[in-house]
Amino acid sequence: MAGPVGLATAVGLAGLGFFVLAVRRELIFKLLGLHVASGGVGLFLVATGHRPGGIAPILGLGPGPTVDPLPQALVLTAIVIHFATLALALVYVIYLTERHHSQDAHRLEREEE
Amino acid sequence: MTAALAGVAAYLVLGTLAFLGRGRWLGAAAWLAGAGALAAWAPGFPETALGPGPWPIRLAGDPVALAFWGLALVLHAAVLWEEWGRGGAFHALVTLLVGTTLALVLSRDLFNLYVCLELTSLLSFLLVGYGARPGAIWASLQYLLLTTAGMILYLFGLGLVYGETGTLALSELAGVGPSPALVVGAGLLLSGAAVKGGVFLLGLWLPRAHGRAPHAISALLSGLVVKMGIVALFRISSALGSGPILAGLGVLTGLGGLIYALWEVDIKYFLAFSTASQLGYLLLGFGLGAPLGATLYAVGHGLFKALLFLGAGKALESAGSRRIPDLAGRLGWPVALALGLGIWSISGLPPLAGFVAKGALEADLPAWGRWLLLAIGAGTAASFAKLLPLLQPVGEGRLKGELVLIPALVALSGWGLASFHLTWAATGKAVAAAALGLILYPLLRRARPRLPRLTLDRAVLGLLAGTLGLTLALVWSRLSVP
Repeated sequence: MAGPVGLATAVGLAGLGFFVLAVRRELIFKLLGLHVASGGVGLFLVATGHRPGGIAPILGLGPGPTVDPLPQALVLTAIVIHFATLALALVYVIYLTERHHSQDAHRLEREEE
Repeated sequence: MTAALAGVAAYLVLGTLAFLGRGRWLGAAAWLAGAGALAAWAPGFPETALGPGPWPIRLAGDPVALAFWGLALVLHAAVLWEEWGRGGAFHALVTLLVGTTLALVLSRDLFNLYVCLELTSLLSFLLVGYGARPGAIWASLQYLLLTTAGMILYLFGLGLVYGETGTLALSELAGVGPSPALVVGAGLLLSGAAVKGGVFLLGLWLPRAHGRAPHAISALLSGLVVKMGIVALFRISSALGSGPILAGLGVLTGLGGLIYALWEVDIKYFLAFSTASQLGYLLLGFGLGAPLGATLYAVGHGLFKALLFLGAGKALESAGSRRIPDLAGRLGWPVALALGLGIWSISGLPPLAGFVAKGALEADLPAWGRWLLLAIGAGTAASFAKLLPLLQPVGEGRLKGELVLIPALVALSGWGLASFHLTWAATGKAVAAAALGLILYPLLRRARPRLPRLTLDRAVLGLLAGTLGLTLALVWSRLSVP
């Protein structure tokens, strides 16, 4: 049961994130949307590794089937990369906000040209 | 294989150390290590699985990887020379960026491709904004938002493909029959790579980011980094058999980039749009089964577009304006000559690399592809006629990075002329296309169509719509045929 629910939640989160990225004008909301979508994709990858009754893939944890360990390793890498990207994006947003006293993408579009 | 890995490792280690100081010297040391590694692993090595366990990293050195290593090293040398006086973290970032591209072209599994794509993107964001020139941070932020969105789509595709097949190795995906999840996953993977590759409708960040970056970085991004997305597209599509989709993207970006380039007056935006249209050639070649011609064109384009960006950068620094009409007669004769070589080459005139590579590419294309190439070639010549006034030389000037690029361009042209049989008919056609462009130019200049501005909102919509369109096209083409 956990697998399908996880997959559905992941797709929902990504959809919500992309929706916010597309419709909100404030840069900080666009970043939040992107961040929610990246959380969604992390959940998606972990959920694809779900096995019914599986336990965490740690050696020595006990007998029985484990969930697929590969997606978990991938997600760790992806989280690190998304963290770095988000940090850089926040620096840029702070810079632009201090310069223009605004976070409005349309206004920045006019003023930065 | 060990040599290739050692070259990548030298680049990454020396690039990281370069943050502590002496960036340019460590960059030069990394370049030497990379060149040595290239000489050691040429002419190639078969696919090798690296690492323990059931999920190794897969690497292979094929002619495409070899050519891109050569291009990366030449462009790195040019940037080192051009920006030798630049301190700070500049050379550290450039070295790391070149190192990640070296790793990317060797990668043969989906996740390694993902990591390399993200690393090249992250380093490019930093370099586009480097020095905080006007508009650069904003351009870089748009680049970041769109590319990250694209990479999220890529990861969804990766999850779908892995969940369906249980493997990430591209060579193992080739034999798997189509199933709905796999086809949708392939569509998302291709969309993500297309965003990274600046393909039209999906990757509309390209003109801004390449137009606003420091000049040497524009040369590196347009010459090398944007093609990493195209290489990823090629690798994924040759594993999953979606060549026609690539060709379709090629038509779209070839014509879309050309239409914007024809009427653009800002010189760096103009060169960036022209890069988008030239990516169309690469996609047509990779999609329609002419990978070697496309690779040759990628290398040639990398060299002459770098020449054009360096020359344009010098002209606009001297004029203090970015508008092409203001830039006439601003260059000393050596730089004007280098820029002239770039214009000559991108217009496809014999005997330079643009002509040779286009000939090699055309030989393997179907008839409609050849006509399209001819049309884009004529349009490119017409759009570059705008730059001819820049060639009136005034006084002296010093060449820097061009001194690397010009010999490389001449060597590539000579090698190409010696290895491909290019007929007089091909020569005549190339000259005719360029002449047609020159004749069309005054007519086209009169027409002033109001093209939609490529704002961030439109770019995001283009990304989402492009992904949807691409995935649906793939689903339709793969699942309707039994």
